[in-house]
Amino acid sequence: MQRDKFFKEVENVLHPNETLVKTHCAYCGMQCGMNLRVNRATNKVIGVEPRYDWPVTVGKMCPKGVTAYQQTNHDDRILTPLIRDDASLKGTKEGFREASWDEAYDLIAKKFSALQKKYGKDALSVFSGVSMTNEKCYLTGKFARVALGTRYIDYNGRFCMSSAAGGFLRSFGVDRGSTLPWTDIHETDCLFLAGSNTAECHPTSMFRVWNVQERGGYIIVADPRETPVARRADVHLDLRPGTDLALANGILNELIQNGYADEEFINYHTNGFEETKELVKEFTPEYTSELTGVAPEKIIRAAEIYGKAPNAVVMFARGIEQQHKGVDNVSGYTNMALVTGKIGRPKSGVATFTGQGNGQGGREHGQKADLLPGYRKITNPEHVKEVCNVWNITPEEMPKPGVSAYEMFELMEQKTIRGLYLLCSNPAVSAPNLNFVRSAMKNLDFMLCSDFYLSESAEFADVILPSVTWSEDEGTVTNLEGRIIKINKAQEPIGESKPDWQMQVELAERLGRGRYFSHMKTAKDVADEFRLASKGGNADYYGATWDKIDKQDGVFWPCKDENDKGTPHMFLDKKFYHADGKAKICALPYRPPAEEPDDKYPLRLTTGRVVYHYLSGNQTRRIQFLRDMCPEPYVEVHPDTAKKYNMDHEDKVRLYTRRGEAIYKVKITEAIREDTVFVPYHFGHEQSINLLTIAALDPISRMPEFKVCAAQMEKVEIKKVQ
Amino acid sequence: MKKRLYLELENCIGCRSCLAACTQCGGHEERNRNYVYDVNPLVNRQTMPLMCLHCVNPACARSCPAQAIQIHETGAVLSALVEKCIGCQNCTIACPYGIPKFDTEQNLMYKCDLCIDRTKDRIPPMCASVCPSNTLQWLTDEEIENKRNQFNLDNGKWVTSLPYLESETNVKVNLPGILQGITKLY
Repeated sequence: MQRDKFFKEVENVLHPNETLVKTHCAYCGMQCGMNLRVNRATNKVIGVEPRYDWPVTVGKMCPKGVTAYQQTNHDDRILTPLIRDDASLKGTKEGFREASWDEAYDLIAKKFSALQKKYGKDALSVFSGVSMTNEKCYLTGKFARVALGTRYIDYNGRFCMSSAAGGFLRSFGVDRGSTLPWTDIHETDCLFLAGSNTAECHPTSMFRVWNVQERGGYIIVADPRETPVARRADVHLDLRPGTDLALANGILNELIQNGYADEEFINYHTNGFEETKELVKEFTPEYTSELTGVAPEKIIRAAEIYGKAPNAVVMFARGIEQQHKGVDNVSGYTNMALVTGKIGRPKSGVATFTGQGNGQGGREHGQKADLLPGYRKITNPEHVKEVCNVWNITPEEMPKPGVSAYEMFELMEQKTIRGLYLLCSNPAVSAPNLNFVRSAMKNLDFMLCSDFYLSESAEFADVILPSVTWSEDEGTVTNLEGRIIKINKAQEPIGESKPDWQMQVELAERLGRGRYFSHMKTAKDVADEFRLASKGGNADYYGATWDKIDKQDGVFWPCKDENDKGTPHMFLDKKFYHADGKAKICALPYRPPAEEPDDKYPLRLTTGRVVYHYLSGNQTRRIQFLRDMCPEPYVEVHPDTAKKYNMDHEDKVRLYTRRGEAIYKVKITEAIREDTVFVPYHFGHEQSINLLTIAALDPISRMPEFKVCAAQMEKVEIKKVQ
Repeated sequence: MKKRLYLELENCIGCRSCLAACTQCGGHEERNRNYVYDVNPLVNRQTMPLMCLHCVNPACARSCPAQAIQIHETGAVLSALVEKCIGCQNCTIACPYGIPKFDTEQNLMYKCDLCIDRTKDRIPPMCASVCPSNTLQWLTDEEIENKRNQFNLDNGKWVTSLPYLESETNVKVNLPGILQGITKLY
């Protein structure tokens, strides 16, 4: 067990007639430990108590975590299957009637079979998410390929984690979001945070982040906004949105030019240095400053601090990943660690902040269009054979690779895809270029959605199946460290709701594919098959049994067998996962954002989160405390820009791009650049900022460029005189 | 060993977890009894929590004509006793920090009681338990003294901590500026 200076023995408060259930938060990749308070008489989750014994977060929670338990017995829960008979009402909340499970299953099986009979197996598609357990993620991949036999499956990690995955895979040959455990972070000497609003998106990291500075270490932040962590950083690199790669190249050049490169490490453990050194030569502080808008002295200082640090961690998040060069950005910042040899040892390394609860595990077990469990590739015949052996199908039966999340909507619009099974995701808020995505969803012949609330996306469904919240099921998730942890069941599902894995087993039966699924009667049955399916893959979970997870406070993958304790620190032996055991230092030519400002659209629009909401807000907007704290979106505008546009604080403005428009209240703040505006993305319908964002995709990760596009705004209403 | 609430204001990230946590404390009826202010909202994101400082000689209790505000042996200044509070709101006026709130429906003052149901058993108050940025900490006097020494600047310019605010308090506050005294690692 890892215990650090923040760990203190504290007894939990146990109220009379209550049980405490140890589990983890429902939301982001931190997966903070918490105890759910369960009333024994009513079997209801009624509150939360800090879990002081969880080594990563030692009882700490953000406002979402403190109130997460309120989602389970919320009045808005869907309690029975719902069917809509009138397709003309699609895209609204109207027209749903309650139905029995039998009626809903029969209708789904009938519609799915009819579509596949008429248009072929690939007429159906599955769009899933990674806020669900590894077991559900695994089974969803198997369900798509074995029960439906379709190639079209992808997941909302394309809007979140795929660039980090692509970058790590290219640089290290393996994608584990953090090369070191979080319990190391406060012990490092320099934290380089790129494109991460850590304080708002992963608040429970902050006690470790601040501790670096309190010990005399340094914090460097690269962000267009002066976020709470940037405000106190030693250097704030306030770059223009979408210019991260230039900044990374510029800093790398400074590191090399000033003798901070670790030649021994480079020679023995990496490829690509010479080529990269040559490429970054032109990124002098002055040229980098021209491209990024960051003062040259700040670039020089940041490189000096990182270069001199005995230990340093480069951390990043959606800010650099949600770009049409997100993979290059990730590799660009990873280059810093590889060139200076600050990786493969405790207190040093590279880490990405995972946005979704199971953003790590969910991308490893076969929900991606191109991947099978354990990070096996669907294009590799050997890999396919290994998975087929577990699934008991022939390699000929395995569908071909599909397309990425956004591209599935393009196929829906073209009528190549006719049916959709959507679970655990809300693309009608979180996808880019929403006018198009909503029209594509409306264009479907049949849509099934499983959710526990009527989300904006569920409004497009023909059938909604009531699923359970995280506290009504059990299973494992993998947090942002790569630590496999256990989610425990605190109460029985309310109403007629069921876990998704159970629905899939039952639906497979109706579709005549029951023999591949019927042995899975409990979540643990799914876990056992999934551990076996990941065995031998890069993300090997075989040794991570539920028992071991409990005993060890989680297990870091890879964990190959029963004697393996897991792998908290990656690459301690300096062996990377490429065939020759070396990491790749990548030479990455700079590309500007897909859409640059012009006369008509002179501003840069960037999007992100607030601390009170999670992803599309479908869950958090329903929680009273969180709604009170942040009831509506706003546009952040610099005071000088506001003056230029003759705008005042709280004026209403119409913000528009080439793809759409929406109206927001102005929030004036010096924390944003003059040439940039910011809007949080957690809101639906006409308030969704993704009506405006651009679907320019990264060539490798297929991640859309949420973080920058060209925009314009105008005042729509004169503020009333008080 | 006695522990105290300790506020390291510069750490505050404005997440308001402390407010959410306060609603979860036993007897708080899901209403929070603390505050987080935006220091200069049109400029930057600096925020600061304002909790009851649990004064040793509290103005709220001094001003209460009904003696409804009791002081616990741990030093916690408790919320008004239901059976004694007459709803005069003297306490809300007297408190220099604006801590006591008034519930008009119940005709009753309510304020932070330092999670007395937890702190009497040496369990940290909910706000300090969950605070993700370590702005609110639950420390022994020795730990507080160590903090004070660590941030002792002695340069006549920066004052990082004060022995007294309104008067002597059970909650200790470290005012912004703490990092000015840090010796850098390299």
